Amino acid sequence: MNIKELTKGIFKENPVFIIVLGLCPTLGVSTQVSNAIGMSAGVFFVLLFSNIIISALRNFIPDSIHIPAYIVIIASLVTIIELFMHAFAPAVYAALGVYLPLIVVNCIILGRAEAFASSNTVIDSALDAIGMSIGFTLSLTLIALIREVLGAGTITLFPIGSFDGVLEVPWLIDNPFRVVALAPGALLLMGFLKAFFDWKAMRKVD
Amino acid sequence: MKKNIKYALILLSICAISTAALALTNSITAPVIEVQEEENRLAALKAVSMGYEIGVQEDIVGDRSVTFVTDLKDGGQTVGYILGLKGAGYGGEMALVASYKPDGEILRVQLLSHNETPGLGKKAENAGYMAKYEGTGAGSEVPTNKNMLSASDAQAVSGSTVTFAAIGKALEAGSRYVNELGGK
Repeated sequence: MNIKELTKGIFKENPVFIIVLGLCPTLGVSTQVSNAIGMSAGVFFVLLFSNIIISALRNFIPDSIHIPAYIVIIASLVTIIELFMHAFAPAVYAALGVYLPLIVVNCIILGRAEAFASSNTVIDSALDAIGMSIGFTLSLTLIALIREVLGAGTITLFPIGSFDGVLEVPWLIDNPFRVVALAPGALLLMGFLKAFFDWKAMRKVD
Repeated sequence: MKKNIKYALILLSICAISTAALALTNSITAPVIEVQEEENRLAALKAVSMGYEIGVQEDIVGDRSVTFVTDLKDGGQTVGYILGLKGAGYGGEMALVASYKPDGEILRVQLLSHNETPGLGKKAENAGYMAKYEGTGAGSEVPTNKNMLSASDAQAVSGSTVTFAAIGKALEAGSRYVNELGGK
């Protein structure tokens, strides 16, 4: 067991900003903070179970058929989670909508199966999955927070009791920079954040 | 050759186990989901009924937009209709229920199911989204185009015009359908 496998996913090997994996959901669901958190929860469950199962089967699955085997395992896990969410957490299911089945093709999951779980122990793979999920959650929430605050002037969380789940940012709510909430805004912001993280990494080397 | 058969068997066993796991999950969740969907449908019918009595539902097969119709009664007299409608949104089919006056005017609209993009077309779920359609259909045209909206409404559908137009077209078709029923 190596605790480094857990922490590396958060900054050093952050899946979104450093490895640049899983950009489609990152750009797609980051319009609202609640979507980002829901998506991250889905990715967390699928990544954790897929890493554990694939790592446990790493000596059983031959190299030449590993991709179809991984895809079957990942697709089944996503479908199981989708069915459970639909039945027992309909609000989250409705909020995630089309993004839930799309976790199947999220590169982070196949990428980690390929790069890590297929050649490491079950415990290290589970730690890797948790670390990568935390890194993904933080990055996605950061992008969603910036996009939602600037683009709509709100912060959408989950409704609890009398709180309807939407925080309003004064002034910005009446004068939102709508482009940030649309697709071009996502790409621009991703570029700026990637540049910022690269700059940080470069400074460390010097 | 022998290797290929071994690989095929390994892949087959993975698929078989996955399928068994999916079948088990489905047998647990399917009844729960069915109950939920029926509840949602009834709640949506009630929400658009304006407090009138909901009649017997009749399924419509073969219409492009209308999936079912039921009449609204007040003391034995037909005061309107509820239609089940479908439209082609950005993410595939959307299901709506809407209530109409006998002359085709839209009373209330509810979105049942859809696959629209969160943050854009998905906003059609929000309270108040349907207000721009309500009251149209008889005296004024159902908005199906951004130019037919006020400036603030047009801004609200910016980025999701496909969703907005799809709902508008389904509602317009429903309005025509109600007109053809002729208050019978």
